[in-house]
Amino acid sequence: MKKHPGDYTKPELIACCGAREIRDYDVVLVGTGFPTMCANIARHTHAPNARLMQEAGVFDAQPKRPALSVGDPCLNPGAAMIGTLVDIMGMFLQAGWVDVGFLAGSQVDKYGNINTTAIGDYDNPKSRLPGSGGANPIGSLAKRVLIIALHDTRRLAERVDFITTPGYIDGPGAREKRGLPPGTGPQVIITNKAVMRFDKATGEAYLATYHPDTSIDEVVKNTPWDLKVADDVHETEPPTEEELRVLREVLDPSRKLSAYERRGYV
Amino acid sequence: MTKVVTMKEAVAEHVHDGDFLFIGGYICRTPFAAIHEIIRQGKKELTLTRSNAADDFDMMIGAGLVKRFIATFLSLGFFGLGRCYRRSIEQGIPHKIEVEEYTNLSLPMMLMAGAMGMPFVPVKDMAGSDLLNVKSFMGDGKYKVINSPFDGSLTVLVPPLHPDVAIIHVQQADELGNAQIWGIGGDCQVGANAAKKVIVSCERIVSREVIGKDPSRTIVPDFRVVAVVEEPFGAHPGYTPGFYDVDFSFGYRYQQASNTVEGFQKFLDEWVFGVKNRTEYIQHYIETVGYSAFRGLQAEFDYGYPVSYTY
Repeated sequence: MKKHPGDYTKPELIACCGAREIRDYDVVLVGTGFPTMCANIARHTHAPNARLMQEAGVFDAQPKRPALSVGDPCLNPGAAMIGTLVDIMGMFLQAGWVDVGFLAGSQVDKYGNINTTAIGDYDNPKSRLPGSGGANPIGSLAKRVLIIALHDTRRLAERVDFITTPGYIDGPGAREKRGLPPGTGPQVIITNKAVMRFDKATGEAYLATYHPDTSIDEVVKNTPWDLKVADDVHETEPPTEEELRVLREVLDPSRKLSAYERRGYV
Repeated sequence: MTKVVTMKEAVAEHVHDGDFLFIGGYICRTPFAAIHEIIRQGKKELTLTRSNAADDFDMMIGAGLVKRFIATFLSLGFFGLGRCYRRSIEQGIPHKIEVEEYTNLSLPMMLMAGAMGMPFVPVKDMAGSDLLNVKSFMGDGKYKVINSPFDGSLTVLVPPLHPDVAIIHVQQADELGNAQIWGIGGDCQVGANAAKKVIVSCERIVSREVIGKDPSRTIVPDFRVVAVVEEPFGAHPGYTPGFYDVDFSFGYRYQQASNTVEGFQKFLDEWVFGVKNRTEYIQHYIETVGYSAFRGLQAEFDYGYPVSYTY
């Protein structure tokens, strides 16, 4: 019987939700922060043979401190392989070897399309965001894409202002029609309120589980599209004792994840 | 004949107004000494490219040197959005730069195509995104979509890039330009070899004999290189594996300074225009943060086993 201590923070719960999406032997392309934490929790629990890579060229890094960027110095010593962007994004991702990719979005819509380019009109934006970076190729080519986002009516949208990274675009079959590889696409949107999955028939995200301190009503109210609710909707499983032990004792003793609380992940 | 020159000479001779520059670095080995020199010399109307641009591109945009940017991304990483980049695009300060948007797959592939003399290269990303709906100065030459002549599938083609000059920072090079790196590669090798001329900035100049002890580390051969500049600490506030760490507190200093136009100008006056070269920069850095902070960035050595190439 799994134990759930109940004493956990929202970023810890989100990290555990992400970890549970990762299977043993998955090849995972990660960014910093949540993605790395999710993948490492999985490695220390149910997926010891999962392997991580960073787009800048690193495979199976052994960092001695949390990496603050995908090019962080701590990713170099001890890695199994260090190459280039062409190696990771071309030879591994484009060639179809990446099972899981993580993405975050300033704006995410009901089809899992992500905007990291510009808020407002592209030519005269209200906010110029960083751009695609590795997001578009990861979202286009990883077999399973996991999205982490803040849950409010500003960050989630019926339709993003700009599709930097395609989810299901405008519905089922749209990815394939435009030339993206079959069998790819977003699997889940993990937020600070809920876990949403995608309906194969419509390509739309629906509510799968809601976090323990919220409710179906609250999640629906904070979602700017007509959010469908799964027949078997239930409360998100809280972090287990084992997940929390790995997180706090092995992976994040200095509680770097708490920085996400200041960014609204509460 | 040796190609070793000062950064001032390298930039004056080889970087011209209106040039298209590839600038290497991925937080790892950013050629900051060269970037500061380009700003000091007031080069204008530049087109820049690299995957995952950071504080260095933000600084050049803020300094008003940039006309065009073949982009995938620009941020200050841990310190958030690029302040100068945002001001340029959102408010036209100091002017609005033109941006052509690609990705961290397509852009390295375009540099690879340039390096390899390929007429174009197919990529599997960007399809179905708005990246295909925005075109800037490259116009219809940004990409093409065809049905593959092999299997009929929809295929995005992107053009090769041929920068006028590539500027890279490496761990070591010999005086003719054979350049060696270790650690995160980013798009440095394809970017350098796509360019017509390469300026190599390095932590140390070594002999040809040292290069030959581990030739698999060489990413650019000497005949592609026009200038070699020895610039220890030349990637600061970025890092060079085996030499020094990222300087996060300096990253914060840049973020705070670049929050406002005035703060950014003061930063340039102090750290770029206020020093003549990298040596003065390092002196000013040590005077500002103290020697122990400077020493604290230096890497400890943890050598691997030497490799042997003999037969």
